[in-house]
Amino acid sequence: MNTRPEDTPATLQVMRYDARRGTLSVIVGDPADVPREILARRAVEAMRARSFICHTTDDDALLGADEICFIPRADRCEIVSIHTNGWHRHHGDHRRSLVEILNDLAAAVARGTLSFLDGEEIAALAAEGTELFACTIDGPASLRQARAAVAQVLEQHGVGQDTRRRMELCVSEATTNVLVHGGGGGTMRLRLVGDRLRAVVADSGPGLNFMNWTEEAGGVYQPSMGYGYKIILDNLARVYLHTGSEGTTLVLDRTI
Amino acid sequence: MLHTRIEPGEIPVIHLEGEIDLDSVETFRWVISDAIRGASEAVVDFTGVTFIDSSGTGLLVRFCLDYKAQGVQLRLRNIPPVVDDVFSMLKVRALVGDDAFLDQ
Repeated sequence: MNTRPEDTPATLQVMRYDARRGTLSVIVGDPADVPREILARRAVEAMRARSFICHTTDDDALLGADEICFIPRADRCEIVSIHTNGWHRHHGDHRRSLVEILNDLAAAVARGTLSFLDGEEIAALAAEGTELFACTIDGPASLRQARAAVAQVLEQHGVGQDTRRRMELCVSEATTNVLVHGGGGGTMRLRLVGDRLRAVVADSGPGLNFMNWTEEAGGVYQPSMGYGYKIILDNLARVYLHTGSEGTTLVLDRTI
Repeated sequence: MLHTRIEPGEIPVIHLEGEIDLDSVETFRWVISDAIRGASEAVVDFTGVTFIDSSGTGLLVRFCLDYKAQGVQLRLRNIPPVVDDVFSMLKVRALVGDDAFLDQ
């Protein structure tokens, strides 16, 4: 039986070209069939040009991605691509398009707000500093508990109301993602790392499926697709994300 | 927790108090659907709202657009700063139109 393109989930792929080693590794997504030589060559071009390069393409040589972005850093180049697999918004749909979402993610990587990390890197970040609070996210009522914990900790550290509210909002969005996209449960931990409050929100769900951001999930319309991450990326100094078949971990840092 | 009250009339007013998140979004959905049934216009009063996230905002935008397409106007009033802040982040005015906002 043939699979229709619209039945295939939209996917995100993140790769990293290490200029010192001359190697390309896959951080998020399926490592199979990655055209490493072509991607490495394009990454080197972006690093030489010291310029963010974005291709909108249906060129199979570039993974068949709908859009692929090369983001040069000092010693490496981040490569972010998205495959929409033919998904398009219907007329009048107010939801954000997958390419809009990708552009936001790529722009956040470019300005240094967002880093995609592998499992070991995110685990090291999640263990830094001192733990202040931990809770299980196992239902919508947990969201309030998570927000209240953030508010209490920030208030204890004399953080102003505006900053408190924005951090509460970001943690609420991250924990909502755990419930909606992360298999329905996970954990939220607050840590103090130097002068930063760090929220570590983790689930052991199936990993981010970008189609879930744009489609009705289980027949229940999820109206927030893509907006939660926009709020998180617009309001925090640093965000770290790892997602894979073993789950998703989001680390949110805000200076206090 | 979200508390709701419908003030009936030719133009029903939906009074909201509390937090609008994934936990209360179904209450939010129900009260708007219930209040607007048979009316050509309804007002949502946000005076008592202390928190809203992208779940609540997304639903509100969807309602505004869907009802507008059916010729029914949903208008929003008394938006507190905590809600207005989120609406600004998500460009709600651009999505639903300035005419959906009363007295601001």
